[in-house]
Amino acid sequence: MQRLCTLNVNGETRTLAIEETDTLVDVLRDRLGLTGTKVGCDEGDCGACTVLIDGRPVLSCLTLALSVEGRAIETIEGVARDGRLHPLQEAFDAHGAAQCGFCTPGMILSAKALLEENQDPTADEIRHALSGNLCRCTGYGRIVEAVQIAAKRPAR
Amino acid sequence: MKIVGTSKPRVDGAAKVTGQARYADDLALPRMLHARILRSPHAHARIVAIDLAPARATPGVLAAIVGEDLPVAYGILPWTEDEYPLAIGRALYVGDGVAAVAAIDERTAIAACAAVRVEWEKLPAVLSPAEALAHPEIKVNEHAKDGNVSKQVDLSFGPVDENLERAAAVIEGEFHFEGTTHAALEPHCAVASWEPRGELTVWSSTQVPHYLHRALAKVLQLPEDRIRVVQPAVGGAFGGKSEPFDLEFCAAKLSMLTGRPVKIRYTREEVFYAHRGRHPMHMRFRTAADAEGKLLAVDSSILIDGGAHSSFGLVTTYYSGQLLGAPYELPAYRFHSTRVFTNKPACGPKRGHGSVQPRFAIECQLDELAERLEIDPIELRRRNAMGSDETTINGQRVGSNGFLQCLDAVERASGWKEKFGKLPRGRGLGVAGSTYISGTAYPIYPNEMPQSGVSVKLDRSGQVLVTSGVSEIGQGVETVLAYIAVEELGCELAAVRVITGDTLLCPVDLGAYSSRVTFMAGTAAIEACRAMRAHLVEAAAKALECDPSEIELAGGRASARGRELSFREVARLAESAKGTLVTAGGYRTRKVGGEYRGGSIGASPAYSFTAHVAEVSVDERSGVVTVENIWVAHDCGRALHPIHVMGQMEGSAYMGFGEALMESHTFHANGLHRGPSLLDYKLPTTLDTPAVHASIVEANEPGGPYGAKEVGEGPLHPSIPAIANAIHDAVGIRLRALPFSPDRVRAALLAKGGG
Amino acid sequence: MLPLPSCAVSFPETIEQALELLSRPGARVVAGGTDLLPNLKRGLGRPSALVSLARLSGLDAVARDEHELRVGARVTLAELARSSLLPASVRYAASLIASPQIRNVATIGGNLLLDTRCVYVNQSPLWREGLGHCLKADGTECHVVPTGKRCVAAASADLPPILVALGASVRVASKDGVRTIPVERLFSNDGAAPIALGPAELLVEVVIPRAPGTSSAYRKLRVRKAIDFPLLGVAVAVDAEGGLVRALRVVASCIGATPRKVSGLDSIAVGKPLDDATIEAVAERCHGALHPQTNIAADVGWRRAMIPLLVTEALHDVRDAVRTRGGDDGTA
Ligand SMILES: Cc1cc2nc3c(=O)[nH]c(=O)nc-3n(C[C@H](O)[C@H](O)[C@H](O)COP(=O)(O)OP(=O)(O)OC[C@H]3O[C@@H](n4cnc5c(N)ncnc54)[C@H](O)[C@@H]3O)c2cc1C
Ligand code: SF4
Ligand code: FES
Ligand code: FES
Repeated sequence: MQRLCTLNVNGETRTLAIEETDTLVDVLRDRLGLTGTKVGCDEGDCGACTVLIDGRPVLSCLTLALSVEGRAIETIEGVARDGRLHPLQEAFDAHGAAQCGFCTPGMILSAKALLEENQDPTADEIRHALSGNLCRCTGYGRIVEAVQIAAKRPAR
Repeated sequence: MKIVGTSKPRVDGAAKVTGQARYADDLALPRMLHARILRSPHAHARIVAIDLAPARATPGVLAAIVGEDLPVAYGILPWTEDEYPLAIGRALYVGDGVAAVAAIDERTAIAACAAVRVEWEKLPAVLSPAEALAHPEIKVNEHAKDGNVSKQVDLSFGPVDENLERAAAVIEGEFHFEGTTHAALEPHCAVASWEPRGELTVWSSTQVPHYLHRALAKVLQLPEDRIRVVQPAVGGAFGGKSEPFDLEFCAAKLSMLTGRPVKIRYTREEVFYAHRGRHPMHMRFRTAADAEGKLLAVDSSILIDGGAHSSFGLVTTYYSGQLLGAPYELPAYRFHSTRVFTNKPACGPKRGHGSVQPRFAIECQLDELAERLEIDPIELRRRNAMGSDETTINGQRVGSNGFLQCLDAVERASGWKEKFGKLPRGRGLGVAGSTYISGTAYPIYPNEMPQSGVSVKLDRSGQVLVTSGVSEIGQGVETVLAYIAVEELGCELAAVRVITGDTLLCPVDLGAYSSRVTFMAGTAAIEACRAMRAHLVEAAAKALECDPSEIELAGGRASARGRELSFREVARLAESAKGTLVTAGGYRTRKVGGEYRGGSIGASPAYSFTAHVAEVSVDERSGVVTVENIWVAHDCGRALHPIHVMGQMEGSAYMGFGEALMESHTFHANGLHRGPSLLDYKLPTTLDTPAVHASIVEANEPGGPYGAKEVGEGPLHPSIPAIANAIHDAVGIRLRALPFSPDRVRAALLAKGGG
Repeated sequence: MLPLPSCAVSFPETIEQALELLSRPGARVVAGGTDLLPNLKRGLGRPSALVSLARLSGLDAVARDEHELRVGARVTLAELARSSLLPASVRYAASLIASPQIRNVATIGGNLLLDTRCVYVNQSPLWREGLGHCLKADGTECHVVPTGKRCVAAASADLPPILVALGASVRVASKDGVRTIPVERLFSNDGAAPIALGPAELLVEVVIPRAPGTSSAYRKLRVRKAIDFPLLGVAVAVDAEGGLVRALRVVASCIGATPRKVSGLDSIAVGKPLDDATIEAVAERCHGALHPQTNIAADVGWRRAMIPLLVTEALHDVRDAVRTRGGDDGTA
């Protein structure tokens, strides 16, 4: 069954007809063209599909799109503002924290949620915050360092 | 150097951190269909009948195909073309594709697949090499010449038996490697579009666009000049995307049948069935040394579990022996390797193809030798290290060699002298070393053409375009190519655009495998850029009224005698003087390798070297091993982009660590994969992964681009044996089967009477 | 893509609406969805409708009075892990579950009612077809105990052991009203239908008694330090007075279809100090009493051998509290 669904993604409101059991990731990627959110498993195991709902990281592959109507959804496309990269994006880029880049959107969103709560996290706190985001390329060290570098910068 | 040796943000970095990089599954074309592949639930079964009618009758379905619709065999190596896009007559493993259905959306394609009726006759299956050898009548692969034997290699160099005889110490043992998979985070995906003019374009998450191009032509029986393969951004590969897969052929065929673009994306489960991961190997090794610890002989016998197809197996079988000739001087060496077909997904090349498993065996035995002869394990390795510009016993010419510096670096960084053998019980240090190739001497199919081509275009805008068929899979080759343009042409990095992995737009490169990319495409790029540079220098010299040798090209300017021109001005002058500015470069291997059958396999224009020290702690009650630190030093010739080099070292060490402790690609007795998901197949998380401390060693390689060699695969090799050896230092047990899971560790401790 | 089956999804705003919607045959509750949705994606379960708790008002608070702690069914694991009102052992157990993203939406209710797990059933339809369907999903046999008629899929949630050990109960609403049952009795011994609730019942609250003098701890065995389900979960709760044990409970998960409370511990521990000898005897008894099955992907002999180890570690965690002041009252 199809139903109208109104989503607020990166500050824009979009209404579209979806299957009632469509997951958020499929709506974002296949219907709204927001392909920055990745699918690595589609069953909750990898974190590639992480988005922020009201500022908190969740897995969009395990989220019914209808269940987040009226909530603020933030995807990687919404992280850079006014054409300027977020300090996390700059740090990931400068520090070699993205190799293939497939885990990167999810990593950055998990890290962003952490930095909103904790401006100066320890490496251990960063590792905990990112423990649901798998990366197959980097071995994580540069990712953790990039988050620390970004944390030391004044937020804009 | 202007830029080489510095670490600028990667050219594809901004796209990746903003979510703008486009991977195969991010592409959507107008009128695009989605297809799914129906797969066999049985390890070995005859397809008695298959009825597509219910699928075709499903509303929204546009086409459905079976194996007979694609009846041409293919295979990555021209000598072993032994697979079909979809099973014909028989399914050979759980997950083997048997039909494909294209529909208006994926939900419909999935429902239609479920509606296909297959009548199966289950056949006996062979699931281990021993079983497969014992039952040649259960023939897995119809193309096999001899029962279930996929490939056998016997090679012997030097007086092996004599040296074993006169050795002061001989270490003998059996090692078992269970098999692991790449598990790149991006599942495979392909989009095919058949266009009215009779042209086929396939976008695929491949790391070998050129080989895919050839295979598509062969299987679809289309002329190669009507096919274009485009490789978009790839979300990791590690060897798992270095062959054509069923989805590319099926998407193409279904697009040809429907006249509409077709996308197929694997589920994570399907990625496990596509596999081509590290081969399970059962290895018997004997390693002999004299009283001073100088190696006298290595004798090995290896049984390799290949799965249902050959894949790169012919090469794997050679690599299991051929890559052990360095970094130690071996006066005598013999190996006997047999690869066997079994009813499981095919194994293939995974980061450190064919040599990670035997490296585990030999480096553990070196540790045992050191213990037996009471020599420090690093010292033992030093005594045996071969020098630079030497030839191994099996005829491989090693050029530059920084192995000793690697050993020094990890010895120092880890505090080895203070710690080895002296840490409290339960904590220990282990060392291991290795070597790896920088590309293979010969292409996969014999030909005299360049292995890598690069073209450079420059015009009056001042914008430089570098193109090459090479594959960017996260390793950073696009950045390397841009670096080379900046280094040679003196333009700004921002003025360079790089296009890779498009068989229509780019000169041929064979792909991202065997650590060939920087070495070969880099060399080709230097040649192309230098030809372009000559035009610029000539034009600038004329304008600045000086000798061409006085021209300096750097920082987006040409300068001489205190006068300067902008890069754009020089480009305009050159275009005016020379006409349209396009130059090209190519890489060809000089002849290398031994003069015997197989002597070229494993022969490389250059070899990288690595040493690891791992520090572990072992909880003796539970058997849980924690890796606390890994120090890795790697000789990459010259680090063109140090951050990328360290990134490869860290990623390799991480991957090896995962294989050592938790990853296991194994099957139930009925051929079902034990855990085809990212929940059950354990990729280490941030909380499991140890700190990896990387140090770069640079032993300049005259044949490499600015002296560079490989770094993508070599640094993985020592991680497993270094951890094994550290466990021994910690609690005195020798583990010879992977992974070092707590139950195994605990069992070994109990057997030893510890724990 | 692993599509969810098509069905209606509703978002009741009150408990009454939810109960009304649940009274239709085949309707299922979805709270955080982190257990239900992966199962549905793998064809395990065919609900006629989903009733989401996402827009329900209430059931989202942690409250405390003199006698008890009350936790709304929709309180997320992340909130549990942070809540200073809860015993440290519960917070710790919650913090070990799955991943941060999952803990942000997964609920205490969903965790208690987690479906049982088995290596032969938590697989794709293709995989299960290859093996042959089993008692828990469309089949008639069990691949773990081939002679058995009852599914022994494992209770694999992290919170039930500690909540049982603490003597918690749940309040369950239905059209007939609200009933209270001990968490212990929430589970059936049949892995194929592990939750002893009616289809139209809604778990609304978890009630944890405040027991000054009780100390508790939880230990989890797993392969990775994040994401993974437990291979074994052991909770202990010890009531003590004047340094002597008054009651001692050990509850383990991943043994069979229900969290297992080890019996016969009173005679071993009651009236004794929690010293090495007592701890060893308790661990020994647990080792003898608990028999893991082969349906979890880790060597079963090793898992069994880890039982006394985890029990010992958990008891060490509470030993100081028992010795010094008899216990904690559930605050950290
Ligand atoms: C990758 C991964 C790792 C995981 N690791 C762990 C782990 O380590 N430990 C662990 O314990 N769990 C783990 N889980 C499982 C799950 O995430 C948690 O158990 C979670 O707490 C379930 O809560 P939920 O709200 O998401 O449940 P849901 O999926 O919404 O519901 C689970 C079940 O409870 C029913 N239900 C939920 N709420 C109510 C209610 N109020 N009334 C009646 N019925 C209700 C549902 O109908 C369903 O049957 C993991 C899951 C994933 C995907
Ligand atoms: S325990 Fe037996 S019946 Fe239950 S899920 Fe596992 S195999 Fe099926
Ligand atoms: S795609 Fe959602 S967790 Fe992997
Ligand atoms: S950068 Fe490739 S998965 Fe993280």
